[in-house]
Amino acid sequence: MFRLTITRALNGAKVTPKPLFIAARLQSGEAKKPEKIEVFIDDQPVLVEPGTTVLQAAALIGVEIPRFCYHERLAVAGNCRMCLVEVEKSPKPVAACAMPVMKGWRIKTNSEMTRKAREGIMEFLLVNHPLDCPICDQGGECDLQDQSMAFGSDRSRFTDIDFSGKRAVEDKDIGPLVKTIMTRCIHCTRCIRFASEIAGVDDLGTTGRGNDMQVGTYVEKLFMSELSGNVIDLCPVGALTSKPYSFTARPWEIRKIDSIDVLDAVGSNIVVSTRTGEVMRIVPRVNEEINEEWLADKSRFSYDGLKRQRLVTPMIRDNTGALKPVDWEIALLTVAKVIKNAGSNIGAIAGGFADAEALVAVKDLLNRLGSEALCTEHTFPLDGSGTDLRSSYLLNNKIANAEEADLVLLVGTNPRFEAPLLNARFRKAWVHNELEVASIGPKVDLRYSYEHLGDNPNLLQQIASGQHEFSKKLKAAKKPLIIVGSESLERPDGSAILSAAQSIAAQASCSKDWKVLNVLHKVASQVAALDIGYAPGVDKIREGNFKVLFLLGADENAVEKSDLPADCFIIYQGHHGDRGAAMADAVLPGAAYTEKQATYVNTEGRAQETLAAVTPPGRAREDWKIIRALSEILGVKLPYDNLNDIRDRLDEVAPHLTRYGSAEDANFVSQAQELAKKAKVQLDNTPLDVKIKELQDYFMTDSISRASPTMAKCVQAALKHQQSKYQ
Amino acid sequence: MSSSLLMLRNVTKMPLKWAAASLSTSSARYVEPEIKNDVALLNPEEIEHKKKLQNYITIEGTTTDISIITGVPEEHVKERRVRIYEPPKNCMQSGTNNIGHWEMDFDNRERWENPLMGWTSTGDPLSNLKVQFTSKEEAIEFCEKNGWKYYIQESKLEKKFKPKSYGINFSWNKRTRTSTK
Amino acid sequence: MASQGMQRAAREVKPILSLDRDEARKRVLNLYKAWYRQIPYLVRQYDIPRTVEQCKTKLREEFTKYEEIKDVRLVDMMVIKGQMELKEVVNNWKQKGHIMTYFKDTVEPKPKDFLSKFLQGKD
Repeated sequence: MFRLTITRALNGAKVTPKPLFIAARLQSGEAKKPEKIEVFIDDQPVLVEPGTTVLQAAALIGVEIPRFCYHERLAVAGNCRMCLVEVEKSPKPVAACAMPVMKGWRIKTNSEMTRKAREGIMEFLLVNHPLDCPICDQGGECDLQDQSMAFGSDRSRFTDIDFSGKRAVEDKDIGPLVKTIMTRCIHCTRCIRFASEIAGVDDLGTTGRGNDMQVGTYVEKLFMSELSGNVIDLCPVGALTSKPYSFTARPWEIRKIDSIDVLDAVGSNIVVSTRTGEVMRIVPRVNEEINEEWLADKSRFSYDGLKRQRLVTPMIRDNTGALKPVDWEIALLTVAKVIKNAGSNIGAIAGGFADAEALVAVKDLLNRLGSEALCTEHTFPLDGSGTDLRSSYLLNNKIANAEEADLVLLVGTNPRFEAPLLNARFRKAWVHNELEVASIGPKVDLRYSYEHLGDNPNLLQQIASGQHEFSKKLKAAKKPLIIVGSESLERPDGSAILSAAQSIAAQASCSKDWKVLNVLHKVASQVAALDIGYAPGVDKIREGNFKVLFLLGADENAVEKSDLPADCFIIYQGHHGDRGAAMADAVLPGAAYTEKQATYVNTEGRAQETLAAVTPPGRAREDWKIIRALSEILGVKLPYDNLNDIRDRLDEVAPHLTRYGSAEDANFVSQAQELAKKAKVQLDNTPLDVKIKELQDYFMTDSISRASPTMAKCVQAALKHQQSKYQ
Repeated sequence: MSSSLLMLRNVTKMPLKWAAASLSTSSARYVEPEIKNDVALLNPEEIEHKKKLQNYITIEGTTTDISIITGVPEEHVKERRVRIYEPPKNCMQSGTNNIGHWEMDFDNRERWENPLMGWTSTGDPLSNLKVQFTSKEEAIEFCEKNGWKYYIQESKLEKKFKPKSYGINFSWNKRTRTSTK
Repeated sequence: MASQGMQRAAREVKPILSLDRDEARKRVLNLYKAWYRQIPYLVRQYDIPRTVEQCKTKLREEFTKYEEIKDVRLVDMMVIKGQMELKEVVNNWKQKGHIMTYFKDTVEPKPKDFLSKFLQGKD
């Protein structure tokens, strides 16, 4: 704290190190672009590109201008007037967020006129804003609260001469996630702009004028978006707050732990807020390469599923067929005995939430027992190069680069629900970059217009051979992308689809570092599992006739009890009592992603780590530790005792797994294509389909979200909305 | 015996000297001849030693690990992992004055609700230690000095600069045109 | 993980009490002797259930624990701390319990091996 203050004082007030760094970078690039213009902010010169707004220019040198309606990721609205600043020789103050700078302007962000303007605006805002900060959920992290400390008057001039009270607005019901207290609204229209620009759901808007203006949906309807939770963050006051989080905690009493989301394969950065060993809420954390500052609703709100249906103690199925809670000693000994008897006749299936540490530990354990039957729940074609070349199963071109694309071909995927934040990038490109999108697969609503080519996989063949009209567009495109959904690759003809996509990608004419072929996964563990060397798909298990089956959080019923021999002993290790635990003979309780420091690799191949926010409930333990303990009892002790040791082992297996934050490039696209040609599988005519088509399908897809009451309410609301006449 | 007493005296004199220095005022009109008692009583070797203490000495080896004198329990030096990171902007607010520095914190340990008052208890003495630094290097040096294992979490916080425009809301042939107000 | 420990051969630093290692060593020995002489009084004064011999062994243990320290300044700081503790003992600022904590006979040892740590659920 002290150091910071001192350096700030030394550098001159308000200049933080970071903006300085940005400014320095800008000036170094200035030699190439001589057309920059110079303006003076509080007498400090700054060189900016023409068209830069006053507010942006000020931000470059670390001068922050107060604002309510302006948000750097939304369009400029210019309606709150809080950013008024004085410009020398201009008779009126100008709105900094909307006004482009002119050459030689001298902008005064701290002058008397500026201050009076801000105070005036603040007074008007507070005339109709309730003074309910003590019971407001935004209290403590409210822009209006903070700025009123700086520019608010110490008393009110509001005199209620008509005894009519302050302006009051009826609350709207826009769904089970976002709570509205519309009296607090200051009409910044951030939520409206977010809904129409980013989410693509043009439901929110304003009605009325002046004092009668209201933000809402006009008719009562659900805010039908998978990104709706972000309006809570955007709202600078407490008008939109989180319904599940309401009145549960205050920002100053929670501990914030940076972590990674695992409910989809995007790997959004999150902050887990906890109090007394309980997750209170999850909010996004800025990461420009992945989620910007947005978060999908399932990731944001399914945290209450982490408190329900949890496995808190080891369990063994007894003679009556009921799972009985036992101690760790007994559980481990029983399981070890069964595994010992089975010898190498053991298989394992990894589910969607398995972290890299546990994956490696299970693989090491089974290998030591002499078994190679390690599978992932989700299939990936093994013909051709299979999973040997990383480039065939990654989103090679990275999420952030999707913004630059000019043509996207979606193959058997619904990115809106499989990776909402990737879809938000597409929409951003569609709005700002005139992106064209085409899709082969079911006709779904992506919230931007796209050309639906059909749902027959043979279309891929036609495009590849140049018979289809679309291939012309593809050839003309400078930055085309092909996004292949992992679901389409789970079909029997998956390898043919991948190979067709590869040959289409090879035809595209674009620069070397633009990777056309991209695979979009649906679960967080898949890429890490394939990197470590798990075999995709459970065919091995079905054929193997195994004595013991180890389910590492596998809850999707990829293998049913009927697929296995009758005497097969099923061990389930995971955190939720879901489908996997129901069929298990022994249950070992593991930790969920908020309870362990674990590595996950997202669909672009970027390793990231979660941090433990709370301790696992009851007797649950971190996953890799369970395997490690079991190995010791089995007599095949795994050589890692702590996190550093197992991270070293990860590093040995695949070095990129411990290079947190960076996505390693995979460059064997052409080789993969060559190998794919050898694949024998033919495309069949069954139409490409996706499981999640509409919003109600999106909310409950895995063991955490299935246990979440909030998600259940969302499904209910979405179903109810279908009956509504206001579609 | 005399040497042991000398040591003791040195030890106790240290803080006194500093206190005297900070309290001295120089505004007196009549300047008394300065008598330094300690200097007057010391023998020449001791004076020499005192002078040398004002200079530098050369020590060998790597960075000094001060963990044995900080009072941090040994297990919390050896078993903890420090994360050095750049805190991002809070998504709930638009202010940026509380970011732009580096921070360190420890791995999170168990905490529980105390049955007495319902407050949170923890057995972790370092759980609330969050230190801010102006640079990554400073944080690294601090961790090395204290003997903590650390790792650096790099984050991508800067975004590409793109001038904002109010006009695009009204462009007639672009998708940026806003339909809803 | 980044490379830990910047290797620097020799550095110029401000001394605390001693100018070199010989001098620091002298201070340590002096401190040791002072403690050694205090032990018979300590045992009587505090009425602890330990003999003078046991205390002397403990004293030796406490000193040899830090014999690896090379940095002169660290030695000086440890001497200062030892001096403070001695003063606390001499002036009866410590109490019986404080003395007995040196022996740690009520402290339960924490599990060291992985399996018992795992079963206890403690790191």
